[in-house]
Amino acid sequence: MSTHAAHTVAVRTHGVDMFFGDGETKVTALKQADFEANRGELIMLVGPSGCGKTTLLSVIAGTLTPQTGTVEVFGQRLDGLSQEELTTFRRKHLGFVFQSFNLIPTLTVLENVMVPLLIQGAAHDEAVAKARAMLEKVGLKGREYGQPNALSGGQQQRVAIARALVHEPSLLICDEPTSALDKDTGAQIMQMVRDLSRSPERCVVVVTHDHRIFRFADRIAEMEDGRIRRVVEDASLLDTNHL
Amino acid sequence: MYRLALNMLFGDRAKLAMLLCGLAFSALLMAQQTSVFFGIMSWTYTPVYNIRAPIWVSDPMVEQANDAKPMRDTDLYRVRSVDGVAWAAPLHTSFLQARMQDGNFKLITMVGIDADTFAGAPAVLSQGLIEDLRLPNTVIVDEWGAQLMGRVTKGPDGKDVVIPLKVGDTFEVNDLEARIVGICKVRRAFTGGPFVYTTYDRTKLYTLGARRTLSFMLVEPQAGVDPVKLCARIEADTGLKAWTSDTVIWSWSDRSLARNTFWWFWKNTGIPFSFGTAVALGLFVGIAVSGQTFYSFVLENLKYFAAIKAMGAGMGVIARMLLVQAFTAGLLGFGLGVGMAQAIGRAMIEKGMPPFIMFPQIFWATLALVLGISLVSAIIGIIKVSRVDAATVFRG
Repeated sequence: MSTHAAHTVAVRTHGVDMFFGDGETKVTALKQADFEANRGELIMLVGPSGCGKTTLLSVIAGTLTPQTGTVEVFGQRLDGLSQEELTTFRRKHLGFVFQSFNLIPTLTVLENVMVPLLIQGAAHDEAVAKARAMLEKVGLKGREYGQPNALSGGQQQRVAIARALVHEPSLLICDEPTSALDKDTGAQIMQMVRDLSRSPERCVVVVTHDHRIFRFADRIAEMEDGRIRRVVEDASLLDTNHL
Repeated sequence: MYRLALNMLFGDRAKLAMLLCGLAFSALLMAQQTSVFFGIMSWTYTPVYNIRAPIWVSDPMVEQANDAKPMRDTDLYRVRSVDGVAWAAPLHTSFLQARMQDGNFKLITMVGIDADTFAGAPAVLSQGLIEDLRLPNTVIVDEWGAQLMGRVTKGPDGKDVVIPLKVGDTFEVNDLEARIVGICKVRRAFTGGPFVYTTYDRTKLYTLGARRTLSFMLVEPQAGVDPVKLCARIEADTGLKAWTSDTVIWSWSDRSLARNTFWWFWKNTGIPFSFGTAVALGLFVGIAVSGQTFYSFVLENLKYFAAIKAMGAGMGVIARMLLVQAFTAGLLGFGLGVGMAQAIGRAMIEKGMPPFIMFPQIFWATLALVLGISLVSAIIGIIKVSRVDAATVFRG
């Protein structure tokens, strides 16, 4: 990946087709989807339900392998990689923020944040130190040993962001990060994502329906029927009623 | 990750409690039933256990220690004449009715031992002297028999109280007086009746009418003579059957009277089947309850395992996490179950009923089975998690 350091494109998909099932039950999720996201950029994927946003996000995250087309993330071609190689790639380079937080309720806040580090094979003490530091960054110092369920929705999403960034991934994938949050909390969360991800070595892809957070995007890619319809920098150019 | 896996397990206390209950109950049922089974089965070779002689000689048709087929007294001299025999003593065993002073009858196992050598006498006497057995009409009764054959009277509260037999008390066998000169400590017999020891010659009186009274011969090899080889020589020279007296039922020795007795009861009674059913039930209950509970634990955590997969954990790591969780629960359940089985066993031993012997093999076999249950539970969970697509984490 270092050979691509000067390259500005962080994520690129080209001619990606993705369908599920076959025969009469065949559903086409992506049709020749071409997408690009740059380093240091926060880009949002928007569009109506069923347009293929989540499928494209899964393809970029390496959790789904497209039938055709190429997928490149920070210079690494994902299409053609084995499941094991994809798993290793995700472990090293990807961070995830999920719609429903996916914090493990039986673990403490600190332990939840330690998970990506431990998956990478970090020593326990090192993982504790890094997780603590990250929780401090997201404003949750003193909450380390509480259970996630004891936190508010906004606080839980902050824990999720800490977990997504603690191992310093290149690509941060956010799936509807504000859908379970009120307007102000959602704005705070997006501001935090934006601040923490501002780095030329990082890219943030956010899938969202929430037009209240469009202003945090550097660019917005609008999807329709399994392909990118257009990419805009100004959210006001989008027809939010259509989304 | 393994520490986190354990925290996930211990964090869900309700599930953990259910899981431990299933595993502990399973371990308890398997260990306790097996220990009682072996306890009862150990009673089958009680004669060999109580009477320690290197070699037992019997009629060739005898299959086990409780199956006495009387021989001629002259057979004793034939055995004594076999090269390598240091000494041979007669032994009589028979089931007789004892008439108590209150007119009640009790079934007893009469054991007649050689009055000269006392070969076959009980090793421990809690009352009396073995030499007093040489006095006329004398017997030694075991402690349980003294209790069983004791006199029942009313206590101050109106309840029945048993006054055990003691030295000096008498009862009758075949209308002949039997005067107690000793109380001994021996292991109880599977056949039920208490042991009443007397001299071999006197058994001819008590078993009035029996033409032959020689049930077994107890043989001591000369110094340096291998008991197994001597057994073969006795059989070749006399046509009788010779047995070794080791009580290791797990051995492959065809000559062990205890082992042959144990396996005779195994093959010819329904005891192994009934206890085996209880043990199998324990195993199935364990698999069903633990497997189901662990599966439900995995189902509840499925989306978190999917998230962990998406974050880059391979199936190997997740499988090991599930194995750590299942085996930890298994070990805890095993500890609780076997601990309870031991506690129940100790209480049983104090009361003497039912017998309870937890061989090390039972301990390790129960551990292996409980860990097997855990393994099955873990495999079910691993299969479920392996089928979960990491992409499901993006579907709400």
